[in-house]
Amino acid sequence: MNNKLQLRRAALLLVLLGAAFAGLGYRLVDLQVLRHDELSAKEQRNTEHEFRQAPKRGDILDVNGNLLATSVPVKTVCADPSLISTQAYAVAQLIAPLLKLNEAAIAQKLTPRTFVANNAEGELVTNQLHYVRLAKNVSEPTWQRIYAAMTNFTVDLEGRKLSRSEQESLNNLRYHGLYAEADQLRVYPQGSLASQVVGFPASEETNVDGHFISRIVGRDGIELVMQNQLSGVDGWRVTETDKAQQEMVEWRGADVYAGDGMNVVLTIDSAVQNIVESALADALEKHTPKSITGIVMRPRTGEILAMASLPTFDPNQPGSILPETRNRVITDVVEPGSTFKIVVVSGALDRGAVKLTDEFDCEQGHFAYAGRVLHDHEAYGRLSVKSIITKSSNIGAAKIAIERLGDQALYDYAWNFGFGQRTLIPLPGEARGFLYPVKDWSKVSIAQIPMGHGVAVTRLQMLFAMAAIANNGLLMQPMIVNRLQMHDGRIVQQYVPQSVRQVISREASEQMIEALKTVPTAEGTAAEAGLKDYVVAGKTGTAQKAEHGVYVSGKYVSSFIGFFPADNPELCISVVMDEPKEGYYGGKVCGPVFHEIAERCASYLNIPPDAALVTNTPPLVADTLLRKGPNP
Amino acid sequence: MKVVLLCSMICGAAIGYVWQKGQLDRLGRQISERENRLRQLKNDNTRLVDQIDYLRSPVMLDRRSRELNLGLAPAQPLQVVRLVDLPPAPAAGEARQFAQRPAVGGMPGY
Repeated sequence: MNNKLQLRRAALLLVLLGAAFAGLGYRLVDLQVLRHDELSAKEQRNTEHEFRQAPKRGDILDVNGNLLATSVPVKTVCADPSLISTQAYAVAQLIAPLLKLNEAAIAQKLTPRTFVANNAEGELVTNQLHYVRLAKNVSEPTWQRIYAAMTNFTVDLEGRKLSRSEQESLNNLRYHGLYAEADQLRVYPQGSLASQVVGFPASEETNVDGHFISRIVGRDGIELVMQNQLSGVDGWRVTETDKAQQEMVEWRGADVYAGDGMNVVLTIDSAVQNIVESALADALEKHTPKSITGIVMRPRTGEILAMASLPTFDPNQPGSILPETRNRVITDVVEPGSTFKIVVVSGALDRGAVKLTDEFDCEQGHFAYAGRVLHDHEAYGRLSVKSIITKSSNIGAAKIAIERLGDQALYDYAWNFGFGQRTLIPLPGEARGFLYPVKDWSKVSIAQIPMGHGVAVTRLQMLFAMAAIANNGLLMQPMIVNRLQMHDGRIVQQYVPQSVRQVISREASEQMIEALKTVPTAEGTAAEAGLKDYVVAGKTGTAQKAEHGVYVSGKYVSSFIGFFPADNPELCISVVMDEPKEGYYGGKVCGPVFHEIAERCASYLNIPPDAALVTNTPPLVADTLLRKGPNP
Repeated sequence: MKVVLLCSMICGAAIGYVWQKGQLDRLGRQISERENRLRQLKNDNTRLVDQIDYLRSPVMLDRRSRELNLGLAPAQPLQVVRLVDLPPAPAAGEARQFAQRPAVGGMPGY
């Protein structure tokens, strides 16, 4: 009987245990097999985290490796208000002096609050706010001080002992209430130097899972044009974190380093740029023009050593970036005035239509043509072609075009010199200027265009046209980027000078240079531009400004473009002033600025002086050695 | 005896496993800390190198020389002594002359 009862009980127990095991088995299959994908993803979400590794944005350097733009690591200080809880004011009092921010504003940000949002299932739910940003661009030492202050944060307990949950909350507040996200700040160590070439960036933010990831994106200049090369490639790290969100290195999975951006090395020489900017600043003070621009380039290669436009801006201070601080060298077009005479005269010389000695009647300063009267600034009689350049005779230049060159040839030469088209310099916002086709010309166009009216050019186009004459008639492509290199100095891409086209023959350019040499002399229009130790060739320009289709008296664009040493050109320099107040003739206002820039650049770049001009030359070391004869 | 040995082995293996896990965790933290320190040092190094570069840049030197009123000015062309290439090396077979310092009387210079 007892045995039967025991057997029954044992059987019941067996059934119950079997049922329990069956239940557990089902649960096991349910968790491990049926819901495997869902639960495995949930587990991964809870433990695995993917961290973005931001690349360092590449630097921008001058040709000698001097820093023009770089990125420094900074912190964005963030907070979790839900952990700060009732201590918002105490924490604000602690960190406000370190962040140099208003205490009340920080306390307001730290105060816990809720917000309503849609959850994953699309239902409206109330959430606690876990993320606020307190400050950007905080330096590493400042963040270390904040972190130290927070870890020492204490609460006034009035003799009471903390409960376990209160101690846990305090620890959460101390170690996780505030945290820092890595960020970068773009810094320009040279301030406003070459700022229009270097450009400026902006911070672009994307919201990823409630956190903002900021990236530096170029907005102007090289920062914009070379965005892809400078920005680099993101890296990432898949890893697991503990409860305190500390990484568990032993569970680190994929770890792909970020590929830093490349350094962009410009052709700009910061010393030359400094010379140009300081000379332009002096001239700006003296003549108070609306703007003044200066460019220095090597005519043989097209390398631009300096490009400046005042007023300028400091990219470290975004508030200083205004429309009037744009890079006028490439964005603005103006009627060039007499500097454009180089086109008509060199074209006529190239065609063999004139010789430097050919003479034209300059009509004593008044020449009626196609219902208009052309004027010279002085009354000239017969002038040779060379003297037309020396004296900058409008009537002489017009007559060369009318009598020897013709409409189509004038247009073709202007086009071949690069007018009416972009130079393709790798900078944003370049204007193409205006050079109308012959069919759109009026009767008087052929008389106006040789003196630089009826066309609109950029300062860069005009400089490169002059540089083509200096370079035996060969027009070069402007170069502003010398090379791309890695942070360790490995060169990724080296840019080389490129020619565009042969505009005029070598012989024509030599004749043109002979004529241009007479401009910075006592007989010419730019005596102030001449140099003591170098022969300079150049051309002045003084163009009356047009407003609403009418030329306005008293408003001029004055310019001087020249190169030296004239027979072996090393540098070509352009100086242009928009509405100078004290004087307006190109030679008078821009000539001295050219002189200062050229003299200082020649000294800095160690350009050998013209032998013909140098007297009392110290003996060359080699001559001294040779004179000593063989050693005893 | 066998049971004791078996239990000791199992306990030893368990303790070893836990110790190893502890070591892994400790080393992981050390790696993490040193990675942060390395990153910080690299950043400091870059910052200081950049600072030196800036202080040595021509623009800064020019500015400082003006501020300190050192009276420095660019060299004039006449103040520059230029070196030119010496005549080409003699052809093979010709006696080669080497430049020598002029003999100075007295003791060899120190």
